[in-house]
Amino acid sequence: MTALPTSLPHDAHQHGHEHRHAPVEGGLPQRLRGDNINFPQGAGGGISMALMVLGVLLVAGGLAAAFSGAGGVSLKHGIAAYLVGAFTVLAICIGATFFVMVNYLVNSGWTSTIRRQVENIMAFLPYAWLLLLPALAIEIAKGGVLFTWMNKENATDYLLNKKATYFFFPLHVGEFPAFFVVRTLFYGLFWWFITSSLIRLSNEQDRTGDRWLTAKAVRLCSWGLPVFALTIAFSGFDYLMSPDFKFFSTMWGVYFFAGAVFSAIATITLVINVLLRKGKLKGCVSEEHFHDLGKFQFAFTVFWAYIGFSQYFLIYYANIPEETAFYNHRNAFGWDKLGILLMVGHFIAPFFILLSRHVKKHFNLMIPISLWCIAMQVADMFWILRPMAYTPTPLKDANGVLIAVQEATSVGPGLAGGYLDALLIFGMFAIFAGYLIRKVASGPLVAVNDPRIHEAVGHKNYV
Amino acid sequence: MTSIHPDQATAQRLAGLARQATPPPVLDPKTGDGTLIDDPAVRPPLVLNNRSFGEITDIVCGYAENKPPRWWLPVFLHAFGLAQLGGLFILYLVITGIGTWGLNNQVDWAWDITNFVFWIGIGHAGTLISAILCLLKQKWRTAVNRAAEAMTIFAVICAATFPGIHIGRQWMAWFLPPIPNANAIWPNFKSPLLWDVFAVSTYGTVSALFWFMGMIPDFATLRDRADRRLRLNPEGSPYILPFVKIRADQARAYIYGVFAMGWRMSSRHWHRYEAAYLILAGISTPLVLSVHSIVSFDFATSILPGWHTTIFPPYFVAGAIFGGFAMVLLLLIPARELYPNMKDLLTLRHIENMAKILLTTGMMVGFAYSMEFFIAWYGGNKYEVAAFVNRATGPYWWAYWTMITCNVISPQFFWSKKLRTNVVAVWLVALAVTIGMWFERFVIIVTSLHRAFLPGEYHMFHPTLVDIMVFAGSFGVFLTLFLLFLRFLPVFPIAEIKAVLPQASPHAHGHGEHDSHGSAGAHGSAGAHGHGDAGQATHAKGGH
Repeated sequence: MTALPTSLPHDAHQHGHEHRHAPVEGGLPQRLRGDNINFPQGAGGGISMALMVLGVLLVAGGLAAAFSGAGGVSLKHGIAAYLVGAFTVLAICIGATFFVMVNYLVNSGWTSTIRRQVENIMAFLPYAWLLLLPALAIEIAKGGVLFTWMNKENATDYLLNKKATYFFFPLHVGEFPAFFVVRTLFYGLFWWFITSSLIRLSNEQDRTGDRWLTAKAVRLCSWGLPVFALTIAFSGFDYLMSPDFKFFSTMWGVYFFAGAVFSAIATITLVINVLLRKGKLKGCVSEEHFHDLGKFQFAFTVFWAYIGFSQYFLIYYANIPEETAFYNHRNAFGWDKLGILLMVGHFIAPFFILLSRHVKKHFNLMIPISLWCIAMQVADMFWILRPMAYTPTPLKDANGVLIAVQEATSVGPGLAGGYLDALLIFGMFAIFAGYLIRKVASGPLVAVNDPRIHEAVGHKNYV
Repeated sequence: MTSIHPDQATAQRLAGLARQATPPPVLDPKTGDGTLIDDPAVRPPLVLNNRSFGEITDIVCGYAENKPPRWWLPVFLHAFGLAQLGGLFILYLVITGIGTWGLNNQVDWAWDITNFVFWIGIGHAGTLISAILCLLKQKWRTAVNRAAEAMTIFAVICAATFPGIHIGRQWMAWFLPPIPNANAIWPNFKSPLLWDVFAVSTYGTVSALFWFMGMIPDFATLRDRADRRLRLNPEGSPYILPFVKIRADQARAYIYGVFAMGWRMSSRHWHRYEAAYLILAGISTPLVLSVHSIVSFDFATSILPGWHTTIFPPYFVAGAIFGGFAMVLLLLIPARELYPNMKDLLTLRHIENMAKILLTTGMMVGFAYSMEFFIAWYGGNKYEVAAFVNRATGPYWWAYWTMITCNVISPQFFWSKKLRTNVVAVWLVALAVTIGMWFERFVIIVTSLHRAFLPGEYHMFHPTLVDIMVFAGSFGVFLTLFLLFLRFLPVFPIAEIKAVLPQASPHAHGHGEHDSHGSAGAHGSAGAHGHGDAGQATHAKGGH
């Protein structure tokens, strides 16, 4: 609120401002005591290992099923489903990295006590990149399954030849996609560099208490964020837009970014909620933090809808065939229902639910809402990638007038062979969750020496 | 105030009635005016020189109550003259017709729509600062929000002129809004141009409400001060004009009194004010995004190469914030130098923050420029490619490269802290950005239009004197209104500035203790031990 002062950092530990759910006595040392911000040695190791093994098995099983074609599935279907899972996880990690970087850049104080958890999510970004590689390797080895621009038969396509440099430079259409691979390597390298550097600085601050490491992280983020923005946009082009190589949209990178931050906020809220339930972080994270995270969730609900609507609307209104093909495909064959689910579930429902301050501050209610938001990111990736597993063919009436477009598959879209989607998506999430549990349990749950930690523990939205 | 220290001096300090008993700040040249601290453990003060609540009121009300500085009247007369001149050219335009502009068959939108989009963009910083920065609880906004909101209103007024005079037959201007009429003639509801009418008028209304509502408590302060002076000394105030027997303070008490709408500073009033402020901030935030998005729809819904691109909405919004902040800096940096004590309220830190916003949004528009080029090429549409190559290398190459130089390259200087805290450098970059953002709209509109698909449809646009003078006149209007604002209205939100003072904290305690042991870092902060001199000085000043 505008004319009301926020409490100064130091009054927080003098007059412990309690929140409803976990009343805490005492000052900062009490709140940062060992058992409040640490798990015992080796905690969660079993379940983490089990989840990761399960995840690898599910993914391997899914890929095997896709290769064998069991239950009427195809490899194309398998790759699409694989990318849906991998890209949701990647999007969450990208969003978390953005969250950490932008909060460094704006010198935010209230995030000090939750930043470590965001870093834990961010730490998976290089691994999420690794998870992409098998799919890309299959694509290249098979000469293009979902990424049809790798197909030899498209080598004479006019549009593909126009943009061949983007994929094949310095080689030519139909050969090894050298530039594409170079970009993929660059993303991986940069993502590994930026996440590991930020985590290293944060951990070093835990040990040394050197507050200038925060300034160092800010400097890193200042040039890192523009580069990171480019990797978000171009990875969106490369893996989500290029499979349908005739489609193009300048908004694409922003759309991917909006969904990424949306799902990352949900994941952050969920992780912190779980930790509070485990009896940790008492007095460090309060309903005020949930309020702010909820506001971010709300903001990115709206932002995603704004970007998604603008992109759809401008293509709809101009009605240029190269662009509308993308939406026409998704407005039929049952994908339209998925589109409606996205409109309602990714925007309208969370919009109205998250309007309420009470909901945002409610720990129990935020669990299903966070899960729902993550599910919506899956649905969004599904809506982008899965229709590409089918090639729409025009259906004309006797006079040659186009009456419909149908997907050239006997199986039909949607639920047929859906077990494969379930295997691969859950597999990816199991690997991610397994890693996250291990990572969260391994260190202090709070960046204990953050110079602004007083502001975070005493954080209040309205005084 | 929950408890008052028995010591009278402390009590007064806590109540904001007196300055804090801290020693004068030790200025470290590295921290400029004392606010440019790099230390992550220190929050720099938002107001300098230990001002008390009373001093804040005196400073801000003083701008409206004291005689204006000597430069004010000549500058005002020039701005007003320019506005009048622009008005004369508009009159000439209305009498003679749109043919007095440089428009032709091919370039049928040019300079006027450029000006419209330019001014609408300028209007974005105000609501961004008052709404979005309010929701993000950025307290530094208090130093600039009132002036920026005022600029929003004035910029919308300037912007609204252009579609109004562009229609050619001005007596048909009532066709712009959908007014029921006997002939059942309606505007085309499917046209973004009509949505623009709604978007801009909604934005103008809400921004004006927001601006006005924020000023109500300050109007009441001005009213009460005038009233008190009259009671103490009924003869003390001069007559407003030699032949009008009304005293200045009488006029103030009445006029500010009307605008204060019965505000009595009661806690009930404040309570509702806060609620209303939050609601208006919530409503304004989507409006900030929607207005320029819809302006961008004017272009992007078409199929014209160079206009139809899906990134237009967020790109226009980023550009608008970019141009708006540039205008805020352009006007407030000189004001800060010319008005007494304004540097205490508008510190170098504020300038630096706005410079950072310029850098960020400058890179956003740079990102959008490059995305347009990339997708034009990637899309494989040769007309799209031709439109963009024509922008960069065609007859209007100079406009394109002016835009790139001003908008993408010039903010890059702000990577250097030295430059973004140097007011002259910031002012020059802000000037470049203002020029660049005008050229951005010119490039989008004119270079996309001037070459259609057939060489027979190639035309150039050359502005006429009327084009130029109408635009110059809009600057005159803008400056006139802004100078009147500086002269008569509360330039800073008094209550909001008081709220970011250290003594506003409900638990502001024990400054004396800190003075005595002098270690400002000793708040039990694990990370804050070993403060340098700079940290100590500012801690003391920040009133920790």
